[in-house]
Order: sequence, then C-alpha cells, then structure tokens
Amino acid sequence: MTKPSPTTDALRTPGIPRRRDQRQWAPYLFISPFFLLFTVFMVVPVGAGIYLSLTDWAGLGSPEYVGLANYSRLLRDASFGAALANTAFYTVFAMVVVLPLALLIALALDAKGLRLRDFFRLTYFMPVVLSPIVIALIFGLVFDGEYGLLNATLEALFGVGGVSWLTDPWWARVVVVVLVLWRWTGYLTIFFLAGLQNIPRELHEAAELDGAGVVRRFFAVTVPQLKPVTAFIAVTMLVNTAQIFEEPFLLTQGGPGEATLSVSMFVYRAGFQRQELGYAAAAGVVMFVIVFVLGRLGTRAFGVGRNR
Amino acid sequence: MSTPTLARAPRAGGPATVPVARTHRRLRPGRVALYAVLGLLTVVYVAPLLWAVSSSFKDRSDIFAFPPALVPDPATLDNYVNLLATQPFWRWMLMSTVVAVVSTVATVFLCSLAGFGFAKYEFRGKRVLFDVMFSSLAIPFAVIVVPLFVLVAKLGLANPFFALVVPWVAPAFGIFMMRQYTEQSVPDEILDAARIDGCSELRTFLSVVMPLLRPAVGALAVWSFLNSYNTLLWPLVIIAEPEFYTVPLGLQALFGAEGRQYDLVMAGSVLAAVPALIVFFVLRKQLVNGLTAGAVKG
Repeated sequence: MTKPSPTTDALRTPGIPRRRDQRQWAPYLFISPFFLLFTVFMVVPVGAGIYLSLTDWAGLGSPEYVGLANYSRLLRDASFGAALANTAFYTVFAMVVVLPLALLIALALDAKGLRLRDFFRLTYFMPVVLSPIVIALIFGLVFDGEYGLLNATLEALFGVGGVSWLTDPWWARVVVVVLVLWRWTGYLTIFFLAGLQNIPRELHEAAELDGAGVVRRFFAVTVPQLKPVTAFIAVTMLVNTAQIFEEPFLLTQGGPGEATLSVSMFVYRAGFQRQELGYAAAAGVVMFVIVFVLGRLGTRAFGVGRNR
Repeated sequence: MSTPTLARAPRAGGPATVPVARTHRRLRPGRVALYAVLGLLTVVYVAPLLWAVSSSFKDRSDIFAFPPALVPDPATLDNYVNLLATQPFWRWMLMSTVVAVVSTVATVFLCSLAGFGFAKYEFRGKRVLFDVMFSSLAIPFAVIVVPLFVLVAKLGLANPFFALVVPWVAPAFGIFMMRQYTEQSVPDEILDAARIDGCSELRTFLSVVMPLLRPAVGALAVWSFLNSYNTLLWPLVIIAEPEFYTVPLGLQALFGAEGRQYDLVMAGSVLAAVPALIVFFVLRKQLVNGLTAGAVKG
C-alpha cells in the first residue's frame, strides 16, 4: 500500500515528491516515542540490571564487582527457592484453573438467547477495575482468621470455623490464589466471549451437519478458532501472575514464614528493605530469563501479534 | 468492530424457530441451572464489595462482630470523618488523579500514533521493530524495578510527576491494540484522499485518523487511567515523601501504620474505588469491546 497508485501519482502537483519522502520517514517518527522510552526505561535498565547483578551494592558509593557471587547465593538461598516455587504455583494455577474457568464462563455467557448477558459480563469484569491493594484489603476482611466474614459464615452455617486462612501456610497460598481467581477470571472471560462470538456460525453448522456433537464441535471448531485469543490471554496471564506483588505483600507479607512470598516481593525486599541492590538485581535477571523465555515461546508457538 | 450483542442478533432471530425454542428453552432444567450458576457467580463478585462498603460504615469494634451483619447497626460515618480528618486523603486522591489523567492523555496520543505507524506504513525493519515492541510485553516489571529506580534516582529524575508518568506513556499493549484497530477501521482510500488534499502525514493522522479511532481511544483511555490509578509497586519504590503519596500508596502506609486496623482503610478503599468504578461504568462498553477487538483478531 505504500506505493502510490498511478492515479494518485497523476494527481500529484509539482513539489509533492517531498511528500513522498515524508512518507518514508513519517512511520519512523510515529513509532519513535515508544522506542525512545523503551530504550531509556527498559533496555537500559535491563542492561544495568545485568551489570548490577554482578556487583555488591547497598546504594551508596560505587558497586563492587563480585562476578557471579549473587547468582550462586541465589541458588543456595532457600527464600528465593520458596519465592520461585510460590510464583510458579500461582502461575500454574492461573493457567490450569483460571484460564479454563474463564472459558467455561464465557461458554455459559455465549448461550443462545441468554438474558442479562451484559450485566453478567460486566459484573464479572469489575474486579480488574479495582486496585489490587483495595482487593487485598477487602479480602483481608473476608479471610481474617478470627472474625473474618468467611469464618463467621462457616461457623453460622456448619458450626465449624476458626480456619487460620492467613496464618496456615497452605491456606495462605490458597487465599492468594483465590484473589488471583477473583481478580482475573472475569477479565479473561470477556476475551474468550469476544472470541467465541467471533467464530463464524457456518463452521458450527457445517460441523453439526457432519454429525458432530456438542463436545466434538467444542474441540474441533471452538478450540482451534479460539487459538489467537487464548494465546493472547495466556501470555497476559503469564506475565501478570509472574509478577504478583500486592496480594501477598499486603495480606500476608509473604508469610506465614515465606509460604506466600513471590519473586516480585523477594526483589522488593532484597532491594528496598535490605538495600542489597546487586542481589535484588540478580533475582530480577533470573526472573527475566524465565518469564521472557516462556513468554517468547508462548508467542512463537501461537504466533500472537502477527496478523498475516 | 461490531458489538457482541449486534453480532448475536441475527443468530437468535431465525424467524420460524424463535417462539417455539423460547418457550421450550425457558422450561429446560439446563437453563435454570445456567442462570443459577451465573447468579451464584454474581454473588461471589458482588458480595465482597458490598461487605467492604458495609464495613466502612461500621464502628471499629463492629467490623469483626459475630454474627456478621450486612447492614451496619449502628451505621456511622466516623470512619470517613476520621480518615479525612487525620489523613491527607484528598491530597492522595488529587495526586493519583492528576498523574492518571496526564498519563492517559499522553498514552492515548503516543499509542495511537505508533499504532497508526505500524498499521498503515510499510518501512524497512517494520517486522523486527514490531516484534521488539511486542516482546517488551513479556518483560515483568519486577525485573527492571531495581535498576530503573537506580537510574531514575541517579539521573535526578525522581520527581514524582516525572517518574510516575513519563516511563509509562507508551505501553506496548496500547500500541498493539491501536494497531489492530487502525488496520480494521481506517481505509487506505481515506488516507490517500487526505494526502491528495495536501495534508502532511502528521496532519492526516490528527484530522483524519484520530476521529476514526474514537472507540478504541475510549478503551485505551480507560485501560491507561486504571493502570496508572491503581498501581502500587512503582510508587512504593520511587516516592519517599508522604506529600506525594498516591491513593494505593497512602492506603498501604495507613494500613501498616495503624496496626492493620480496617476501619480507616475500608473507608479509604471505598472512596478510592469510586472514581475507578465511575470511569468503568461510563465507558464500560467501549472498554470491553475495545480491549477484546485486538486480541480476538490476533
């Protein structure tokens, strides 16, 4: 489309050729703000992070080069192991539970002639509008170990209560995961729903004519057709849950012990509470490698972002 | 981009089958179960919010009272009064709002411009540049937070208005979204026509393309506003002076300082949620449709 058609050329008045030049460099100009900011605030920090990760630095004076010492320390650091394991747990949960659940809800909302579809869709979407900090505070009320709403309800209904939601290691992890579920499911649902509504009706009809049942049609038509949207969602979720911070930070402070500590919290704690900037940077680099590789593999595999 | 409801209409409207199917469907147990599940989910989503609102009107000692009561008795405005009297809450709010609005305006402009650049021009390196842009989506913030903090502090850019706005005004997600939308809804002919009329490329963008992008701009604006308004980690790292606290930062500090008491922070949370919910309700259709348009066509 860049090459002007003969007709447009014919219409050009003298002096216009300069305009064609403009068309050569205009796109670079238009995308340059992104690349400028990307370079200054992402590429440079990633590079600086790699450099910092090879140093010992408390923020004052100049960083002292220590080679790979930070990395070998990370390997031996049980806290970092816990943070990685917890973050992996949250992420796997997001992929294995939140994603399919969002698809199920989207299928339910896609039911023919459903009333109140927009109402449901928007209600489920609402949490993502709220600050994670607000969500964490709200669920603090619900999951309080002594007098929280959930325990009180359980007590009233079944006479069993007193579950230490936030102070038992496994329950605390479950609570974090419930927050992830509550916050993201409705958000992902709208993507799946839009994807479902985008599937040409003829495909379903053709499959039905061929005698495919509901389940068969789901796997033969719906799933392949949803591939682009699924890929987009999966990558979004991967990056979002991999950097989960607010929920454990506010609700459990990573505890009890380090049962809910996430990698983001680990980085924050090392860098800004313990002033071990080099060590924090090393943890960041490790996370970068993991998430970036997974993310790239994901986008490659699904071909997200490519139009043709 | 058609709205889902519109896309749906012809499907439901097969003339002969409609009345029969309707009555039949309404009686089916499957339908009942479907509505029951969706209704239950609605409760799951709405109940915690209602509980938070209710708690914010309760006396400090009643917040965790047993048995739990949804209607505060006695209902009191004390939490709100105390919050506003003891904390510079409006200041936090002002800070958050100003930062979010400025970020949003800049984000919308820069993302539309870049999206247009990627959608409607062919140029050398386009593919690589697009890939680079897109893969920046997969860089978690935790990775750059430490070096970015160092960089910003060392360069003397830790001014809150600079640090909270400038690094974030060209998000890859926004550019991706605007590119998708531009490709779908800006015909090449209209661009050629503008060029023939002697418009410069920038002029074409501003006066011809921008108006056509309005629905997507709405979605991007909400997305960007909420992102900025709700974020915690970066302000937590970069803002040291309480007078520049944003709402999430203020609430977080208050919760810590008050020994994890819920009375004031609940009032604050409710007040903080109001602008976000208003923006969401006003622009909900645009947001939901605009967000999904790009991803679906992928």
